[in-house]
Amino acid sequence: MMGYRAFLLTVFTLLILVALRFITEAEPIGFITPQFVTFVMFYVALGLAFNIFIGMTGYVDFGYVAFMALGSYAMASAINRASSLSLPGYGAIILGLVETIVLTFILALIVGGIALRLRGAYFAIATISVNEGLRFLVDGLDIWGGSAGIYVSGPLIRLVGHEAYSFIALIVSDLLLYATAFIALIITFVYLNSRIGYALKAIREDEDAAKVMGVNTTFYKVLAFSTSGILGGLIGASWALKLAAVYPPEAFNIFYTVEAIVIVMLGGAGTFLGPIVGGAVYGGLKYVLSGYIPGYQLLIFAPILIAIIVMVPQGVIGFLRERSERLREFIA
Amino acid sequence: MLEVVNVTKRFGGIVALRNVSLKVERGERIAIVGPNGSGKTTLFNVINGVYPPEEGKVIFEGADITMLPSYKRAWLGIARAFQIPRPFPNITLRESVAIGALFGSLYGKIGAREALEIADERLKLVGLYDKRNELTGKLAVPELKLLEFAKALAMKPKLLLLDEIVAGMPPSAVDYIVSLVRKISDEENIAIATLVEHVMRAVVKFAERVIVLHLGSKVLEGRPEEVLRNPLMEEIYLGKRWSL
Repeated sequence: MMGYRAFLLTVFTLLILVALRFITEAEPIGFITPQFVTFVMFYVALGLAFNIFIGMTGYVDFGYVAFMALGSYAMASAINRASSLSLPGYGAIILGLVETIVLTFILALIVGGIALRLRGAYFAIATISVNEGLRFLVDGLDIWGGSAGIYVSGPLIRLVGHEAYSFIALIVSDLLLYATAFIALIITFVYLNSRIGYALKAIREDEDAAKVMGVNTTFYKVLAFSTSGILGGLIGASWALKLAAVYPPEAFNIFYTVEAIVIVMLGGAGTFLGPIVGGAVYGGLKYVLSGYIPGYQLLIFAPILIAIIVMVPQGVIGFLRERSERLREFIA
Repeated sequence: MLEVVNVTKRFGGIVALRNVSLKVERGERIAIVGPNGSGKTTLFNVINGVYPPEEGKVIFEGADITMLPSYKRAWLGIARAFQIPRPFPNITLRESVAIGALFGSLYGKIGAREALEIADERLKLVGLYDKRNELTGKLAVPELKLLEFAKALAMKPKLLLLDEIVAGMPPSAVDYIVSLVRKISDEENIAIATLVEHVMRAVVKFAERVIVLHLGSKVLEGRPEEVLRNPLMEEIYLGKRWSL
């Protein structure tokens, strides 16, 4: 099996994060609180989900946040419709997850089927316009509450009561997020060890040569794109449970896409541990800096990121992998 | 096995191929010879499915494949090794060759494990087995050419298209590759079509039949010794004789 050591190491690291989340529940260890761990986990999950597409195919999707937004909206609207459908609270959440999967899959098929015919920068630009287009579509056509958005916490409290609400917003939402990270990791491993992984690597390295060697490039690109998109949607859906409301400027904020790219690049695209290292470094730094020097964190953050990207352009894990053949087995 | 029937390919006003027909039988080795710009690569691209011809047909094992995308032709058993190697620089030699095995004529019949076994066997055959776990990007050009060949062979093709695999190589390497290709083609009954611009040494040792292209048209066809001795060859490559 390819990379199973790296896979196990990554699973282990994720389990430590989950354990840390529940250990610090009773008493924080330094600045490590459950909120901190979940904040980091959000970025780790984002990195793992995004990596399936960007890391394996080499294409950059600047519209990735659209999938997260769709997930958040699906969850929010399911909660709002729950009482009229006479669904219990958890039924609404399950409905939200199912709708997330369906909607993000449809979006991935449409965008992938069209935009994945473009290469490199052209693809990246096309995906920006998908994100912005969707945002103004929701806004202009008054879909999902238009520019005002949809409330989440209020309707959820009315649906399940205060006590159950705080359990959902804190524990259930975290568990869904962690589960998404695990699923992303397992899918990465399965893909990497099957025909799919070989096809995606060939596409990343030389798409024309891949096609001549028998790789149905469009099929595999759309497959990676939709897998990554659905997982992004699930992250958005889990996160929505914590929010007061979902509304266009925040849900479709391109900054999340940029963050996802930074995490994958920072850790090392196409590696198992990369998104975890990238997510932990990025999320951790962001949390700590915005706590100690609120408002000025970017001043310190940006130079650190630039330094890392200049010094190790292939990412931390990518750098280590190139350095040593023995390390390659464990981390890549 | 392969039949190209009256193929014409134009790029704007330029006619790259003019009514070209040819046949390749199972296990046969042919060389397509011609100077730069004679249409050799265009012909390969049409056979390979890089682009369709404007007129004419490509038939493989009785089926019309003229409009079939190139990846489906790979599944049928058409493999190609490029003139300028197209390596996958950031993955290992073993993985590169395994990609060929997974998506060639065995597509859907084998898994990653079997593909890696085929990769090992093919790498041994071309003499790159010791480097199998190195990244492809670290290889030198002659090794890349051998790797290109191993990738194409891993596809277990019935027809192998070799773009100028010996161009730019020292004579000793030319002999080595030519004998290797001959051996494999005999053992596995693979038909081979190769493009040759000017390493005629390879043509004589290798091909059973030679087809000469000039300005997009087929001008000569026959046994290598006869074709190369034909006065027309001198004219194509060097121009017409003249005297005062």
